[in-house]
Amino acid sequence: MLKKVKVGDLLPQVEKDIDQERIWRWANLSKDYNRLHIDPEYARQTPFKGTIAHGPMSLAFLNELMMKSFGLGWAKGGQLLEVRFVAPIRPGDHIRIEGLIKEIEIKDGQKRVVCEMTIKNQHGEKTVVGQGIAFWPMEEE
Amino acid sequence: MENKKDKPELTFADLPSGRTFRPLELAVTPELVQEYMEVIGDHHPLYFDENLARKYSLPAPIAPPGLAAIYARLSYLQDYTMPSGGVLAKQEFEFHTPAQVGEILEVKAQVKESYLDEKGRKRVTFFIEGRNKQGKLVSTVRLSAIWPK
Repeated sequence: MLKKVKVGDLLPQVEKDIDQERIWRWANLSKDYNRLHIDPEYARQTPFKGTIAHGPMSLAFLNELMMKSFGLGWAKGGQLLEVRFVAPIRPGDHIRIEGLIKEIEIKDGQKRVVCEMTIKNQHGEKTVVGQGIAFWPMEEE
Repeated sequence: MENKKDKPELTFADLPSGRTFRPLELAVTPELVQEYMEVIGDHHPLYFDENLARKYSLPAPIAPPGLAAIYARLSYLQDYTMPSGGVLAKQEFEFHTPAQVGEILEVKAQVKESYLDEKGRKRVTFFIEGRNKQGKLVSTVRLSAIWPK
């Protein structure tokens, strides 16, 4: 968990290597067998020109970053808002899941921490953007 | 890997505003949580460390909140397959009470909005609630998609 929070701080970055094996395993876990994700030959003939990772897998990565940063302050009361998928994540990509604290306000004896969240690929391109809101107990500081 | 085709496709015509679906029962088993942790690479100790859970006054380790990304989708696809070509446009989550490992969740989905936009695209928004067996709200999800057919 974070030791303290202030506006302008970056959350501890999370990095992942995406490969087809991980995408297949997510397909089995989520029961999402859309061929765009699991069938490279089929996916090559689509406008995407190859398989892409499932959108909800990206949401799981955003969750990982917020759990790592805020723990129960995320699992209990956290909000993931305005998540948009702006570019596909592909096998072979190395992605960085990032968060930046944009705003802190006191609410019900806790700090309500608003974070701008982004997933970028190895070229620095944004693939997923959104906003995470977590809570931070006042007594932690 | 097989593409399960034994269920009908869920088409836009099946998704009028207000439609509800048969509730999904999802068992948060240790095996499910373990597989989630391995696939995502998220090994937060609150998902498996009973001593840490007790330290935070939790009766048991908690399920990764990100599991909601899985059960939200399954809640409206239990009896259908998703037609190819859809686009997940936007998604929002709120986490209320953490689900505990070992619990069974009941997940209900409703079509909140269903319309053709100005470009003739089929827009659908679902509102999904997951509750534990005590009826406590675990998560709420709002999911908007462009439906393929």
